[in-house]
Amino acid sequence: MLHLMKYQFLQIVREWSTMFWALFFPIILGGFFYISFGSGNMGEDMEVLKTAVVEEEGETLEKTVFLSFLEELDGDMIEIEVMEEEEALRALNADEAEGIFYAGREPGLTVAKSGMEQSILKTLLDTYQKNAEMIKTVVKEHPEKIEAATLALEDWKETTEELSVGGRTLDPNISYFFALIAYAALSGMYLGIKECCQSQANLSALGARKSITPTHKLKLILNSFLILTAIQFFNVMVLTGIVQFVFHIDLGGNAGGILLINLLGSMISISLGILIGSISKLSLGMKMGFGTLFTLFPGFLAGLMFGNMKNLIEQHCPVINRINPAAVLSDSYYCMAVYNDTARMNRNLLILAAMCVLCMLISFLVIRRERYDSI
Amino acid sequence: MVTITNLVKRYGSLVALDHLNLEIEEGEIYGLLGPNGSGKTTAINCMLAILKYDKGGIRIMGEEMRPDSYEVKKNIGVVMQNVAVFEQMSVWENVDYFCGLYVTDKKRRRELVEEAVRFVGLEDYRKMRPKKLSGGLLRRLNIACGIAHKPKLIIMDEPTVAVDPQSRNKILEGILELNRQGTTIIYTSHYMEEVEQICTKISIMDHGRVLASGTKEELKGMIKTGETITIEAVVLDEEQIAEIRELPHVFQVTYEEQVLKIRLSGAKHNLVRILHYLEEREISFGRVFSELPTLNDVFLEITGKELRD
Repeated sequence: MLHLMKYQFLQIVREWSTMFWALFFPIILGGFFYISFGSGNMGEDMEVLKTAVVEEEGETLEKTVFLSFLEELDGDMIEIEVMEEEEALRALNADEAEGIFYAGREPGLTVAKSGMEQSILKTLLDTYQKNAEMIKTVVKEHPEKIEAATLALEDWKETTEELSVGGRTLDPNISYFFALIAYAALSGMYLGIKECCQSQANLSALGARKSITPTHKLKLILNSFLILTAIQFFNVMVLTGIVQFVFHIDLGGNAGGILLINLLGSMISISLGILIGSISKLSLGMKMGFGTLFTLFPGFLAGLMFGNMKNLIEQHCPVINRINPAAVLSDSYYCMAVYNDTARMNRNLLILAAMCVLCMLISFLVIRRERYDSI
Repeated sequence: MVTITNLVKRYGSLVALDHLNLEIEEGEIYGLLGPNGSGKTTAINCMLAILKYDKGGIRIMGEEMRPDSYEVKKNIGVVMQNVAVFEQMSVWENVDYFCGLYVTDKKRRRELVEEAVRFVGLEDYRKMRPKKLSGGLLRRLNIACGIAHKPKLIIMDEPTVAVDPQSRNKILEGILELNRQGTTIIYTSHYMEEVEQICTKISIMDHGRVLASGTKEELKGMIKTGETITIEAVVLDEEQIAEIRELPHVFQVTYEEQVLKIRLSGAKHNLVRILHYLEEREISFGRVFSELPTLNDVFLEITGKELRD
């Protein structure tokens, strides 16, 4: 086994193009992020967002509750100013307000552009609506539990307040660096696919040669998994180190958490790559295409490209967020660095580990007695 | 050692192996001779359990060959038609890697790798990467990777394709040496001279079928041709060609671009008779030579086409 590992390691690290895409490309990308966002506001506390509030005519319970919700946030995350609609629109167009909250029968939000600030305002509105909906449901179906529900919301509020007091504030640009690290971790899929194709007789002469040896398929596949994970983990840790110590981006200060998440991120990407690579019916090009799809599409669903996507999915189909490796991975980073929610982070890591075992098991079952239609 | 029974492999409507039967005994150098596309490599891939087949059975060393027949695979070495080595590793590392897939004992493996590198004459290239090797040396490395673990059965699929004569001779000598050491060898080629030179038993294949099997002498004995006489730079008319066709023991005459080729059944004084005829007619001619039947003649008579076509 050590013999195989040694040579597999040499094959990969001596291949310049593989190492460029797996190690150097994410670092270069990180450099561009750092230059684009500028180093000035990195690691600093988030600015309070100026927000206009327009009170619609009429007095309703919804309006009163929403206004009190906004007032509670006033000064911490947002700075609200009640205005007439015309004045508010003027302020919005003049960039004097990041958005307009409408307090009426149905709370609403108007923004003039998209960006981190607007995403935060939208998240606030979504959170309010979600909680309001929950309270309504509890009142309707389990009125006896209204107190417990209110307490739960209080807990949430307290937690967020404690985090703020504890100084664990989120630089809006950090999310880009988390996305970058998650992308780098997931891009290990290509290593898995390529390695698997080098073990398949129908895709390469080397694969044919390996297939006819007496080395057990499980041994071969485990060996590939261990070596590739180690290399990918090293690559991701190098990137994380550069982000933390060269770009001076505060990733939350939980070294153990970062190590664990990066390790599980590397494991899931390699095992997914091996799984895709094991499907013998597809050509190498098709497999690489699937690799790209499985790197970018889950990333898109996890909000690595469009910030609010993950929240939308959480509202409409939360199960996707539980099984989407990119979402689980990014959620783990947030649990560690922003929410400080160790239990949720551990649950995420367990999900990743289970998915990883499942992928490896399926891959082994697929390739263990494989014969090809044509070579 | 190897028994293939009624093996059928289809690619859609194309029948690549058509009820192929082979029986290969221990200690033989068994040649599979046939033109490109005759089914030699397909048969090898089925034998190695990497290619699905539609019908039939394959037994190697008494066991049915399956993808997880790991014990049988330990005793098989394969030299693939395409060079299969790692570009990122040196000659020594490549041989060591592949040998390590069969032999786990480090000390034993080192000895075997050294022996294999010496055997193919790559001692001076140990540290070189494959891309710096010539085509011939690369083929030799390919062989070393396939045989380093000293298997009982070696399958060589056209190992001399695109190899210079010097390397080819070295490879053929090596195969004979391996056989002398007790290894059974299955050797596929479309070069009849090679097969004739080294193989103790030969099967001639075409369209996925074995057309004839036996030793080279047995194969040549199966055909009518006993001798082929070629006369160069000779000018003949139709009447003279017809007269030659009527000479005793002549059964085929071809005349193209002043080259006359006469196939005759085995008999004494064939050449004298032909030369006497030309002298009598005062026909001038250039070089004359007589050849005993080759495997190409066997193939030609059986299939009606040249092996090289």
